[in-house]
Amino acid sequence: MSESGARLRDVYITGVGAHLPGPAVGNDRMEDHIGRVHGRDSVVGRRALRWNGIQTRHYAMAPEGAVLDTNAGMTAKAVAAAIDAAGLQIGALQHLATATTQGDYLVPGHAAAVQAELGAGPMEIASYQSVCASALMAAKGACLQVRAGEADVAVAAGGEFSSRWFRPGFYEGTALVDAKGRLTTEADFLRFTLSDGAGAVVMEPQPRAEGLSLKVDWVDLTSLAGRFDPCMWAGSTRADRADMASAWSHAGPAAAHAAGAVALLQDFELLKIVIRAWIGVWLEKVDSGRIVPDQVDHLLCHYSARSLREEIVGLLRNTAAMIPEEKWFTTLPETGNIGSASIWVMLEAFMKSGRPKPGDRVLLIVPESGRAMIGFMMLEVV
Amino acid sequence: MVDGAVADPAIADTLRKLAVVFADFEQRLEATPLIRKLTRGRFELADYHAFLINLRQQVKDGALWMSRAASNIGEDRLELRSILMKHAVTEHRDFRLLEKDFVASGGDLSDILSAKKNVGSEALSAWMFHEASKPDPFGLLGAMWVIEGLGSIKAKPWGLKVKERLGLPEDALRFLLYHGDNDVEHMEEFRDMLAMVLPDEAVAERIVTTAKVTARLYALQIEEIAA
Repeated sequence: MSESGARLRDVYITGVGAHLPGPAVGNDRMEDHIGRVHGRDSVVGRRALRWNGIQTRHYAMAPEGAVLDTNAGMTAKAVAAAIDAAGLQIGALQHLATATTQGDYLVPGHAAAVQAELGAGPMEIASYQSVCASALMAAKGACLQVRAGEADVAVAAGGEFSSRWFRPGFYEGTALVDAKGRLTTEADFLRFTLSDGAGAVVMEPQPRAEGLSLKVDWVDLTSLAGRFDPCMWAGSTRADRADMASAWSHAGPAAAHAAGAVALLQDFELLKIVIRAWIGVWLEKVDSGRIVPDQVDHLLCHYSARSLREEIVGLLRNTAAMIPEEKWFTTLPETGNIGSASIWVMLEAFMKSGRPKPGDRVLLIVPESGRAMIGFMMLEVV
Repeated sequence: MVDGAVADPAIADTLRKLAVVFADFEQRLEATPLIRKLTRGRFELADYHAFLINLRQQVKDGALWMSRAASNIGEDRLELRSILMKHAVTEHRDFRLLEKDFVASGGDLSDILSAKKNVGSEALSAWMFHEASKPDPFGLLGAMWVIEGLGSIKAKPWGLKVKERLGLPEDALRFLLYHGDNDVEHMEEFRDMLAMVLPDEAVAERIVTTAKVTARLYALQIEEIAA
């Protein structure tokens, strides 16, 4: 541990790990895993898949709903893989920062569950909870621990077990299903968007002696929650979600479930506005010189360039803020959108892809619709 | 998707700053009481009427300040002068459309004709005429970016939401619904206008500043609307 006043240290990602449960599941088979509400095929699924471009994904859930793993279990496997990739042992870990949208338990935090699954000894932990951008909250926390000299080995991990929230039991008998047995779009769309898995990165104050490491230049997060109602949420109905007193815990679990306040929901009209807000933050970063598009060699983002609407692409081009598509690296079509795990799953594949070369600058972008947030992480291959 | 090369860096730079201003503007609008009511399903007919009454003044003034601005553009920018004059002609009767929407949705014509400007509209109007009265008032391109962006990006979704919420017929929503869609051409037309006055550092800065002030005052105008 450093003494106060000691110099801040550089931080390097020295290992990246990912865990994807079970086999890749194609679009034609995915409803076997997440189930069919009242036995009916989804009416919005194809549209959702056309938009997000996902072709395969992984589920910690067998067809008919048998559970193969837990969120904590998958996250622990990704942490172990990252530590192994860094050439370290679990015992070296001093700070564990985890991210998730919803852990296995409501309480205590996800980090405690992951530490327990790892069977790791006493250490400092921190649980970050939001949606996708919680990945970078945890990364920033872990990074600052190392930078400040509080920890010599820190891990940031993200894990999601979305599919268990998509089983019919979360919707049947609730206000989210109409008289004809059809699930509302704001609930159904996400069932074709999100899937399961985990990813993790190890951070240390020096690069690996052999092989490539990633120097962390900076991590920036911008939340715009003060300006928007929730865009993707669980815990309230659509109509009442701006009122905190409407939360499921006030109504009680049985009444909240019946009202459709427990399932994960998305407001698509608001999402269009939130996407423009993300672009606004991006343009500010470019305008201030924090990000110079021409100096970025690789862009990793769990949104596909192709899902951006034409007017957004036009705006980026006209403002000299577009990063050309050949610089985008993604596993989205194969691994699906895994929320807070997505960016590390992509980074793991990127490090194995042969693309990164010493000196390359790698930009990670993690937008989160939740209540309008976007995070950026700038890395340099060393 | 096409690669990001753009002809003139000065134009790209100004457009980027303007896009940042608009993003902030849109977020401020989303957080105003009136738009909160609309997005939260609490919007009533009285809110729609208040919206139309309060928009009318600014819409009516819009073509007037634009004409004044056109008359202050010097001879070496005749093309820009023509564009502003055409815009003014296209838009100078739009406030009548608002009045018709008001009546078609059950309002009394005398109510909208006799309404006073709200605090934000007073400030916005005074600002626009003040700027338009200067020689070569190119900063007003920033004001056009904000106000026309509102028309092309926000008006139609708002109109559709009002329609869904209040069940009004289309002939009571023409002002909001008739605005064009948010498309690439809209931006490219604006880019061409910028090319008539840029590169020029002082002009670029004035355009961005004018956009910021206009956005802030416009948001104030919407904040002040209470049914």
